[in-house]
Amino acid sequence: MRINRIVVLGNKDHGKSTIIGSMLIATKSVSEERVKEARRQSKRLGKRFEPGFILDSFSAEREGGLTIDASMAQIKYRDSAFELIDVPGHEELIKNMVSGASYAKFAILAVSAKRSEGICPQTKRHVFLAKMLGINNIIVAVNKMDTVGYSESRFNELKHELCIFLDRIGIESKNVKFVPISAYNSDNLASVSKNIRWHSGKSLLEEMRILSKHGNDAASDGNLRVILQGSMMHGTDSLLIGNVASGTVKAGSMVRILPIGTASRISTLFVKGQKRRYANAGENVAIKLDSQVSADLRGAVVYNYDYKNANVANHLDALIFMTKKIKVGVSIKFNGIELNGKVKIKTVIDTADGSENGPKHEQPLNAAVVRIELEHGVPAEPFNSSKELGRFVLYQAGKFSGIGIISSVSK
Amino acid sequence: MIREAKSRFKNVAALWSMGKDSTAMLSIARKAFLGKVPFPVIHIDNSIDFPETYQFRENLERMWKLDLIVEKSKIKPNLSGAACCGANKSAALKKVMSKYGFDALIVSIRRDEHAIRAKERYMSPRDEHFRWNYRDQPAEMWGDYSQSPDSKGHIRVHPLLDFNEIDIWQYIQKNKVPVNPLYFSRNGFRYRSLGCTRCTSPVRSNANNVKEIIKELETTTVEERSGRDQDKEQEYSMQKLRELGYM
Repeated sequence: MRINRIVVLGNKDHGKSTIIGSMLIATKSVSEERVKEARRQSKRLGKRFEPGFILDSFSAEREGGLTIDASMAQIKYRDSAFELIDVPGHEELIKNMVSGASYAKFAILAVSAKRSEGICPQTKRHVFLAKMLGINNIIVAVNKMDTVGYSESRFNELKHELCIFLDRIGIESKNVKFVPISAYNSDNLASVSKNIRWHSGKSLLEEMRILSKHGNDAASDGNLRVILQGSMMHGTDSLLIGNVASGTVKAGSMVRILPIGTASRISTLFVKGQKRRYANAGENVAIKLDSQVSADLRGAVVYNYDYKNANVANHLDALIFMTKKIKVGVSIKFNGIELNGKVKIKTVIDTADGSENGPKHEQPLNAAVVRIELEHGVPAEPFNSSKELGRFVLYQAGKFSGIGIISSVSK
Repeated sequence: MIREAKSRFKNVAALWSMGKDSTAMLSIARKAFLGKVPFPVIHIDNSIDFPETYQFRENLERMWKLDLIVEKSKIKPNLSGAACCGANKSAALKKVMSKYGFDALIVSIRRDEHAIRAKERYMSPRDEHFRWNYRDQPAEMWGDYSQSPDSKGHIRVHPLLDFNEIDIWQYIQKNKVPVNPLYFSRNGFRYRSLGCTRCTSPVRSNANNVKEIIKELETTTVEERSGRDQDKEQEYSMQKLRELGYM
């Protein structure tokens, strides 16, 4: 069974962990012992039963009532299996949120219907980031409907406000499903709730099931790209090792390796310890070439020889998102290698309302359109032709400080 | 991930408890490196493992030509459970890590084993005292495991995080990986998770072979580590153990 990875996003205290915990219980995807343990801990801390404790396992998380770091839990529902990623909602923990969300294919956005909560800047920021990470399929779970007497007008009010934001940042709101729920009361999680008769749609799990079956996977264009980790010795032969990011690699075919530019024929291909004639996207390979390559190949990319768009780029136009203010120079990690370059900010984007500003001094937790000038060229591509070669990670003084998505590349 | 560890770090080793998970990991490493395990494997031996476990170690060491390092740990008679594991196994591991200067250690933990293990990164730094800074873990964007060990610490590598218990058994079945016979039922009981003789107890089961174990796991609601004393004493004992450098 294919497992769909879904990240649950949203502002702190809007119920991300509770939604997952309640779905784990409703689908019997968690052992009785773990539920009992969460019950005991809730009692010990003088709280009502908190299903979120199934995931929030650190003592500091339970005592503080927050998620510090991402967690994953598997749910089986009817003929589908999901791996739900629970991420922190606090602003200062955005690094852990981005890291957790980077594994997901779909997202559930938790929005609290409670009068004092609703749509927050962090709610919008999470959606903005999901879009940036390439997650275009979102289900909105309007949570805590019990606190507003399951009010249809409150639900519609939130839906209307969020749709405007979704359309502004380029997610077509007409394709987004909204489900009114109460995670504590298990309303509309696994089955349609009697408390919300006005809602004509399906339960949250049913919407997840439909999305996982029909949601389009923003796949790459199908051209061969093998991202290399380096090389290893096999007897006296040096083999290239790496992962097939897209396309199919075939034994006997002619390939070109960038940035070094070497062209050669693949003489032998190994997958999972065996010789193979071909390997598909997602597989890890060891490649023996007709001619030995002595250069350091970490981060290099293997293309089909006749692929015309295989280029080395020195300039990258990109959208970056920063978790820290840029104080010292940023370093850029691309395919596991560090690049040196200058980052020039063109436009700053306020992720909380989607508005664009000139190149003023950037705030932390904000996004910007930038131009990066690299010292040495790399085989980068726009994100919409290759996810893997169209993104990078930003570091500042050795610490993670953001991510980038490439819109175009040039010499 | 095993190749990534090998290509990024200078001196990689793996922990091998002779249990199903770390044995499956070695089988994966043999595939990744075309027939050999390209790093030393460490057994932290408290001398009170099961006789079958020692026999299994000897057999597989010979069959797979493993570079085996056995580090003896001392059991303190007045300790048990989490305190015992923390004191003797972690201390022995510290000793062997510094003796050989390993900068990366492959540990075959899985997310589904324990809620605390579900919070782990694929590659996770530990300081010189083996402490795990769980409050500020590195980001792991898109498989970019770029953290480096600090001068005296090391990186824990967790290639099996995504596997569930049943996935391990399905891997073992498909690849005919040898396993410790204690996992199979004898007189209505089998070991589902293996530790030392003092703190591990068998669970009720009639599963006699890998196929039957898989069938059993498809329906069970009992926790895998229910036979392991050290998880039960306190709700946070695993968090404490891991902060202290337990595997």
